[in-house]
Amino acid sequence: MVNIEYLTPASPEERKKYYREEWDIKQVPEYIVHSIQEREFGFDHIGRGPNDRYKVFQTPDLLKRFLKVRTPFAAYCSVAFYDKPRRRDRWTKAELVFDVDAKDIPIRTCECEGVCEICLNEAREIVLNIIDTLKGDLSLENIHIVYSGRGYHIRVLDHNIMSINSDLRSQIVKYVVGAYVPENEYSLDFEKVSYEHFVIPFGYPNVFTKRFKYAILHLNENSDLDEVNKKLLKDILKHRQLIELENWGMFKNKIGPMRYRKVLKGIASMNMSLIDAKVSIDLKRILRLPSSLHSMVSMKCTEVKNIETFDPFDDAVPKFVYERK
Amino acid sequence: MVSVAFINPLSDEGKMIVRELGEFNGVLSENDDLMNIVTKSRSQEISNDSFIPRSYFDLALKRIEWYAKKKNDRNFEHKQYDFLFNQDIIKFDVIAFYLLCQAIGVKYGPNSRESRVLVESQGKLIENRLSKLSKTERNLIVTNILNSLLSSTHLKWTFFEDLISSKKLKMHELILDKGEIILEMDDFLERFSYKIHGRKPEKMYEALIGDRIKEQVMIKMVMQNTENYIQQVGERSHREIEPNPILLELADKISEVLISSVQTFGKGGSSYGISIKASALNPKSFPPCVKKVMEGMKSGGRNDAIIMFLTPFISYARLYPSVFSENITKQISDVDPTLSIIQNEILPLIFGAAERCNPPLFEDQPQDKVNLNAKLGFGMHQHPELKNEGETTWYTPMSCEKVKIHLPSLCKPDETCKKIGNPLSYYNRKLWAFKKEMKNISNNKDK
Repeated sequence: MVNIEYLTPASPEERKKYYREEWDIKQVPEYIVHSIQEREFGFDHIGRGPNDRYKVFQTPDLLKRFLKVRTPFAAYCSVAFYDKPRRRDRWTKAELVFDVDAKDIPIRTCECEGVCEICLNEAREIVLNIIDTLKGDLSLENIHIVYSGRGYHIRVLDHNIMSINSDLRSQIVKYVVGAYVPENEYSLDFEKVSYEHFVIPFGYPNVFTKRFKYAILHLNENSDLDEVNKKLLKDILKHRQLIELENWGMFKNKIGPMRYRKVLKGIASMNMSLIDAKVSIDLKRILRLPSSLHSMVSMKCTEVKNIETFDPFDDAVPKFVYERK
Repeated sequence: MVSVAFINPLSDEGKMIVRELGEFNGVLSENDDLMNIVTKSRSQEISNDSFIPRSYFDLALKRIEWYAKKKNDRNFEHKQYDFLFNQDIIKFDVIAFYLLCQAIGVKYGPNSRESRVLVESQGKLIENRLSKLSKTERNLIVTNILNSLLSSTHLKWTFFEDLISSKKLKMHELILDKGEIILEMDDFLERFSYKIHGRKPEKMYEALIGDRIKEQVMIKMVMQNTENYIQQVGERSHREIEPNPILLELADKISEVLISSVQTFGKGGSSYGISIKASALNPKSFPPCVKKVMEGMKSGGRNDAIIMFLTPFISYARLYPSVFSENITKQISDVDPTLSIIQNEILPLIFGAAERCNPPLFEDQPQDKVNLNAKLGFGMHQHPELKNEGETTWYTPMSCEKVKIHLPSLCKPDETCKKIGNPLSYYNRKLWAFKKEMKNISNNKDK
């Protein structure tokens, strides 16, 4: 496992070394290779963003040649499929993507400047939670995880949702991250009944309960939540072990019902920042190409085969970094 | 039992009624049967002839007028429209519905304000009609219609793609499991009862799903089908050489009904007797905080100042200055149907202020244009478009109290500020004083 201090920007020579000696077209995931002719590729040659866009490769060999010759600072590929990708014309479908960037997670238990082992692990937890909902509630299949260099991309290629529009993607995002406070009062014919989210072990209330628990257990005294003042935050931290023990009713009582609603609202609003929602609703987004080099941090954007055992500081470090020691 | 077509005019029964009518031209003629049903409706107000539709054409307009007035007119009288809830009217009602869809489809298309109003009115009409039925009858008709609309008992959530993406149905309010939407109690109990502890699963089903969600799904599906039908009509009309003039005339009248129902400016006025009408902006009457933002802001707070503060202020000051005194929620298209004022007057002012920021806001953060549109009620999109209206709320202007908390550097109160609680009230007060002064000057000149 490499020390994070070695993960400094890659030099042009290191990029050459990576693409010419280490990178292999076989590392590009099958789901991209199979649809290579339908996707747009984009490149950043000098480290100022992907301004070499609208590239198309008819075969994997042509992509291979391009990368080995140009050794770009960064390589990207569209989540969208087109009949005419060179002009981004005749959009046919797009993967549904969730971008979890460790450095942008609103509640991190670490205090690092960029990313570190702790926040990357927290990003992984968020990814697992999202995937759990995508598979369980929404029954989506063909889900892939990619380590992006600073976090994770969840890429869903389920044929049932690849042609959906941005509005539906936005609804899915809000559902899986837990961006709404669930109802707690329901009207029956002659009475009103109250069910807090934590007594409903299914559907969206259950998704929200899981996200809520994650958030509460990752708060610290510097956390900033809408509607939650310092005193309330202090009380949450004081009593949160009750949630760890699934003693929800007691936690709510300790906090007080009115203040509990404030916490729910604060967490729901914060949950929208767990992922970069702009990426999820963009039907023509280009994402870092799995297998390519994230030159800024000298890490490989890597397809994750097994998230349980994946260690970015081992599995996503190019060989040239070890030679820096 | 109530007829299916009374709730869902797009049902087979409804289509049969349309086929039976055959001739199109009779829709303008006075119809004694219709007038008879209307006047015999139980609580119908008949003191004025104008309350009684005399033809299919009239009835179509009354259908829209009912919704528009119910939504916008504080003096709305239900008894003037009681005939809409008389089941005997069904044959006429269905034809009126199709006339509306066709007129709007031909002239305005599916993304118009008229289309939105018709779709919403159909939903509201169904809700009101159902509310007048007994519980048993209501359940029966909802189940009956749902069965005809849904092809399988295993409902994949993706089947409701259109309904969810248009937010007619909210994903988080549905109970989803293994990719399916749970509507039936047996299904619910089979999947979840073993997980529920200390509460009755049957009661939980009734609360979380029950008739409420089933009814909601049915209503929203009819609304969606109405929208789809308007779209089909619109597409078909592009292929035809000339649309029927009756439909064009009806389309114009629909627009008139909508305009007259929202022209309520000046009726209410504020507590100090100011008649507030939407009119061209007068920057001299802006409060100090707005003037400060118009001059441009420095880096910190630019975003909130332009997006959260200025955008709602400018849009309401120009389009709906009496929002607080009228207290009726509106969308921008209710007062600017073509969005021309938004495009030509409001956005240029806001973009100008954003440009004067240091560094210029949108140059620095172009994604904030999306947030700006969201505050105007047009969702998270690059440009304001009618089809996206309603996705977000048209934000009302921040109160002085909120300005003090969020943008304390803006609050430099003058004498007038002491008398108001919202920058918009400041503007209205100043504008009224300015107009009064102008009037006095003009009167003095005449003398």
